[in-house]
Parts: sequence; structure tokens; C-alpha cells
Amino acid sequence: MGIIDLNGLEVRLGNRIVLDGLTGSLQGQAIGLLGPNGAGKSTLINTLLGFHPPSRGTAHVFGLDSQRDRARVRGSIGYMPENDSFIGNMSGVRFVRYMAELAGLPAGEALERAHEALFYVGLGEVRYRKVNTYSLGMKQLIKLAQALAQGPRLLILDEPTNGLDPMARQRMIQLIKEIREQGSVRLLISSHLLRDIDETCDEVLILKDGRIAALCNIEEERRSNRSFMELETVGATEQFSVSIRGLGCECACFPGGRIKLVIPDHIEVRDLYVIASAQGVLIRRMNRRRDSLEDIFLRAMDNEVGRTAHVSL
Amino acid sequence: MSVYKHVYRAYDGKVTPVWTRVFVLARYGFAEAWSSKITIGLFTLCLLPPIVFLILIYLANNPIARALIGVRGPQGLNIDARLFLTLIEVQSWFALPLASWIAPRLITFDLADNALPILLSHPISRFGYVLGKFVALIASLSVVTWVPCLLLFAYQSYSSPLPWAAENLQIAGGLLAGELIWITLLSILGLALSSWVKWRVMATGAIFAAVFVPAGVGGIVTGVLRTKWGFLLNIPFMMTALWRRLLGAPESARASFSLPLEAIAAMLILACFLCAAMLNARIRAREVVRG
Repeated sequence: MGIIDLNGLEVRLGNRIVLDGLTGSLQGQAIGLLGPNGAGKSTLINTLLGFHPPSRGTAHVFGLDSQRDRARVRGSIGYMPENDSFIGNMSGVRFVRYMAELAGLPAGEALERAHEALFYVGLGEVRYRKVNTYSLGMKQLIKLAQALAQGPRLLILDEPTNGLDPMARQRMIQLIKEIREQGSVRLLISSHLLRDIDETCDEVLILKDGRIAALCNIEEERRSNRSFMELETVGATEQFSVSIRGLGCECACFPGGRIKLVIPDHIEVRDLYVIASAQGVLIRRMNRRRDSLEDIFLRAMDNEVGRTAHVSL
Repeated sequence: MSVYKHVYRAYDGKVTPVWTRVFVLARYGFAEAWSSKITIGLFTLCLLPPIVFLILIYLANNPIARALIGVRGPQGLNIDARLFLTLIEVQSWFALPLASWIAPRLITFDLADNALPILLSHPISRFGYVLGKFVALIASLSVVTWVPCLLLFAYQSYSSPLPWAAENLQIAGGLLAGELIWITLLSILGLALSSWVKWRVMATGAIFAAVFVPAGVGGIVTGVLRTKWGFLLNIPFMMTALWRRLLGAPESARASFSLPLEAIAAMLILACFLCAAMLNARIRAREVVRG
């Protein structure tokens, strides 16, 4: 059983299918949720929180059905929404305490943990100020504080670095890393910024047009230490890439004659030159490099629409 | 977590039952409502009529006090259903500005800052959210409506030399039922309108308008068509008719304008359903754009 299990999950909003048959098991300590605008990231989060009922299939969080066991699921989740969402008329500590009490903490415990959470995220000195006097960065932090105060098992962060300046972003990333390393909280982080996901997550789910474009363990990919190569070619690139696939290489083509490929152990670089020479393709540049999350993302986006792919590089 | 260590620690203590979360909302709503000086001012104002009625009941039951102020007999100081009808009317209409002030404070702060996604991501349903706010508003209005009314009834029962209470139990029941119906209507109307109007002052005005504008329209309908059914849009008229029957007070002279109890009940239920539909449309964690 994973942290989040999706079983043919389909969500319709009106007549539109927003999530289309998602199936997979997310098990990482910190799971990144990537995808272009409209891919269904926020809808997936809202479905996990029980805001949208699935039209088909199920979504389970810690083995609990997101619809049927909605209250228990929500009780185990701390949620930091993407947009501004707070009660501006309340002081920071009162707001966090209120949210903690709603999550089920007794009043005394909630107050204690509200103070602790605010100090933890760095808002200790301003905790008695009204929330609507906070800066944008502070508002992001207080959303994180209220999500942490209840001591959730799963922390859902929707675009946590939105609108933050570089220093505040670094502080937020550092906090997320600390929470991940502490180990008692699982994280689901939705972001447009690949760098944020790359720095904080060990597993990534990439959505495209409401379908899973890729689901992979970044840590494993990093550990695999396989040989990646980036070529810049001139000539019949498509035919060349077909030929090197025939050798057993995995490759992805990009505009401008760029090809990224993984070379199996039994293939020599010389073999590539031989094929290129035979097909009249000019190799203008050749770089050996490790794969990055950007590559995984771009390849997932390049996949045929609707094809679910477990990326293995 | 710890204030001095600044490290995260998981929570492994006890958790309150899910059904009690409604009272968390109610408690915070109540505190929010009463944090305003205007609420305190309106509350003080609402307690003035019961003090006047308290003095009247005291005088009606105390010949020495009457003699001291020069009132010779108990004439004009009959403590009966008619007097309690006046009391319930006064208290109910004093409760209207209080409800108009408090209801927007309970809802609009949450809506203005888009707090619903965070609030509803906790183990609380939309119904639970509305119920919590409703309880806060009902509790606030209760202290100026049926509570002082019943306290005055109890005082009259205690002061009267005659076995007054047993003969007038209908008044007590009428006071409780009449005020509960009124504050329920006011609360649900206040919450529904506040959920649609984000600006608090506008929401306060909208609540007043929702009570009095249809009454004006109803008056026009009644005048033009010469029918009593126009009064079905007149909440003050309907409520007065309802309170009169609940207390057992004599009918007014304009008996031809009397509305059937069933029609009044149907209109009030319809109004409540309409407000519930308005709340259902607005109190959502996420707006879904159909398409």
C-alpha cells in the first residue's frame, strides 16, 4: 500500500474530463507533482481532499478512500493551498490555533503547537500581528505553519514558493527539506518549478492533459548512475535516432537536431559515429551528462498524448 | 516542534471527536461576533426594553410601589398575552439590527480572504461549517430574545399572587417557539445574504432590505389587487400574526387580512429553503467552472 493509491481515477467537472483514468501508487517520502497549466494537478489535490468526487475509480490516502473516509483523510492531511487563503482579521497565532483545533487538537495543545509552528517557520516575532498585515512571503509561511501545527501524516503543498523572492524561496525549500528529513511527515508538493521539485522530492508524478505522463523515483534515477549523452546533430536526425534505438539505446529527440540518449554498457561511442557516417548525419556536439528532472519532464511532455509511461532512463 | 529548539515534532496526542469541530467554529464565531464594540452597544440597547417590562411587571404585582408613584389601581398594567406580545415584538425587532451586524462578521471575513479552502480541508463538512456559524448566531440572538422573555415570564410567575403561571403556560411556550422561529429565520437569512455579499456594510443593508423590501412589494400587491395574499411577502406582518396565535393573544381588528397559519408556515419554510440553496451555492472550497 502506498501513501497515495490511484485506481483508474477519473474526475469530471461539468462535461470536462479533468483527470482521466489515473492509476499508480505513490510511495516516496516527498512526492513532486508536475505538469503544465491545466494538467490536473490542483484537481488531483482537491480530489484527495474530497472536494471533488471521482466520476470513476478511486483515490486512497494511507489506504482510506478519499470520498468515503473523507473526514479521516482530511484529519491526516495538512494542506497549504496555492492562493491566498487565511482569515486576515485574526492574529497569526489565533489563526493557526483555530486551524489546529479544527483538525482535532484540544484547545490547550492547539495553542502550544500554534506558537511552536510559528516559531518553526520563522514567524515567531510577528505572531500577534493580524494576518492581513503580513507580506506575501509571510502569508506563504503562515499557510505552512497552519498545515504543520496539527502534526499531519501527509503535508500537501500547492505551489509553496509562489511569489517568493529568492531568499524567501530558499528558506521555504530549506524548511521543506528539514520536514522531509525529520521523517514523520510525507510530502506531496505541486509546483511549476522543476528546480523546487528537484531539490525537495524523491519521487515525481508528471501529469499531462489529465493523464499520467510519467511516474518515477528521482532518487533511484540519480542512483542508477547510467550513462547519458546529449548529441547535437545535423541531417536526418529522425532516421539516425531510429537506428541508434536499434542498437539498444533509449533516446528522445528534441527540436534543433538535439538527441538525448542512454547508452547500454555493450555499446561504444564509436558505434554512433559509424551509424552517423553511414547515414550522412553530422554530429556537431557530444556531451556526457547525468539526467535531470528537466529531462524527465520534457520527455514526459514529448510522449504521445495519453500514453502512460513509467520513465526509466 | 519546540519554541526554543526550532525543530519539527509530530503530534501524537489525543484528538477531539469529529462532531465537536462544529463547536470550535461556533466558539470562534461567537468570539468574533462579540469582539466588536458595536455588538456590545447593540446588545446593551436590546436589554433596555426587558428592563422597562421588568419594572412594569414589578409595578403590576406591587401595590405599595404603585401607590408610591401615584398609580391607584392595577388598570393598564394587566400582565397578559397582549403585554408579552408587545415584548416579543419589541425584542424581535431589536434582534434584527444585532443579527444584521453579527451575521456578516461570521461569514464575510472567511470569504473576503478566501479562507474556505483551508477551513474545509480540515475534517469539517460544508454543512458543519454553516451549522457552526448558525449556532454562533443563534446563541448570540438568544441572549436578547427568548432568554429575557422567559426570564420576565418566570419573574411574573414568581411575583404574581395568583396561580398565574399554570394558567398562562401557553405564553411561555409561545415566547420560546415564536422567538426560536424568528431567530432561526434571521440567522439563516443573515448567513445566506452574507455569503453572497463580501462587503460587510452592504451585507448588513441587504439583510434589512430582505426583510422590508418584500414587505413593501407585498403592500403594493395587497393595495392594487385588493387581496390579503400580498401579506405573504410581508415578514413583519406574518411574524406578528404567528406570534399572536402562539401566545394566544386576541386577533387585531383587521380580521379580513388574517392569513392562514399553514400559508405563513409554508412561506417561512420556503424562505429557509431559498436561503439554504444560496448557502449551498456559495459555501464551497472550490468554485467549479462548468463547461
